[in-house]
Amino acid sequence: MMGMRKQLCTAVLLSLGALAGRAQVIPPAAQNRSIITTDAVQYLFPEQVSVPAGKPSPVTLHFRVAQGLHINSHTPSDEFLIPTDFSIPDGIGVRLGAATYPPGTIILLAFDPKTKLSVYTGEFDIQARIIATPGNHLVQGKLHYQACDQNQCMPPKTISVPIDVIGK
Amino acid sequence: MRRNTIVLIAVLFILAIFAWAGWANWEYRKQAAEKLLSGAGQGELVPAPGGDAMNYVSPLDGKPAPNFALENLSGSKVSLASYKGKAVMINFWATWCGPCKVETPWIVELRDKYAAQGFEVLGVDTEGDDLQASDKAGWAKAETNANKFVTEMKVPYPVLLDGDSISRDYGGLDDLPASFFVDRSGKVVAASVGLTSESDIEGKIKKALTE
Repeated sequence: MMGMRKQLCTAVLLSLGALAGRAQVIPPAAQNRSIITTDAVQYLFPEQVSVPAGKPSPVTLHFRVAQGLHINSHTPSDEFLIPTDFSIPDGIGVRLGAATYPPGTIILLAFDPKTKLSVYTGEFDIQARIIATPGNHLVQGKLHYQACDQNQCMPPKTISVPIDVIGK
Repeated sequence: MRRNTIVLIAVLFILAIFAWAGWANWEYRKQAAEKLLSGAGQGELVPAPGGDAMNYVSPLDGKPAPNFALENLSGSKVSLASYKGKAVMINFWATWCGPCKVETPWIVELRDKYAAQGFEVLGVDTEGDDLQASDKAGWAKAETNANKFVTEMKVPYPVLLDGDSISRDYGGLDDLPASFFVDRSGKVVAASVGLTSESDIEGKIKKALTE
């Protein structure tokens, strides 16, 4: 009986010790996963979603535009401007049914105060309705955007939006 | 009884260690997140190397302008070398670039003002930076946009396509607009990245004409 208690105590101690140790050591890579660094726009989260298989399910994707920059909204004010657009490549078990974009913030830039621009700055969300087949799918969504600041513009860019989609 | 007390103390001690580990972990993660966020907030559009847009110093300064031969909007090849003896402003732009749209009327005006002195502008469209070579529809749309832009802005100088193919020679051109001012001997005498002002551009044109 005593021996059993000792073994039990040892097991509890070892388990707690292991848990404590695991909580302290956070590999840098694991922390970085929650923020995907890009030039002008970062994908923030979610990293993983569970959705009912075969049913259109809403997933809110969170992004951040770097300070001092803006990107065109999904409905820019000028035909030449490149809209922000989210897509999911075909053939990976997850399909994009539709995407709902936030309305852009209207801004005027010092160099051209007559022209109103519809843009995203700071954090913004895109609501994607996805349809997943059963199973785990590592989706590499794509966000296409074009960023500027007050005086200059960066070329259009497409960044990856990695999401682990579990269809149940 | 005594054994129970010892076990209780041991369990409490272990729980305290566990709580401390959790708190330390939370603090560590919080600091790491703050560090990441502060880095992210700085963005990519840092001042151009060599100073601000007005005082931008290109690595090409004082060197021969890299030659190129690109198609214009009519499909004819136009080379920089064919402008030797003239002062040339090579203006990299794109239709999606708001600041480019702002400076274009200034450039048109200055081109007309100094053309008689031997000055010309070559507008180089860098429309399709992230287009794949196989994306024919994308390239066709880019060309259509460029044509439309040039017509709307009444651009009188040659506008060349596929500026992306020569951008590396001109330092990568991460940001637009970007202009290089070439003197009559073919040497780069000034450059700018980003929107400056009409007087700044005029000063650089004069420099290209006199050096």
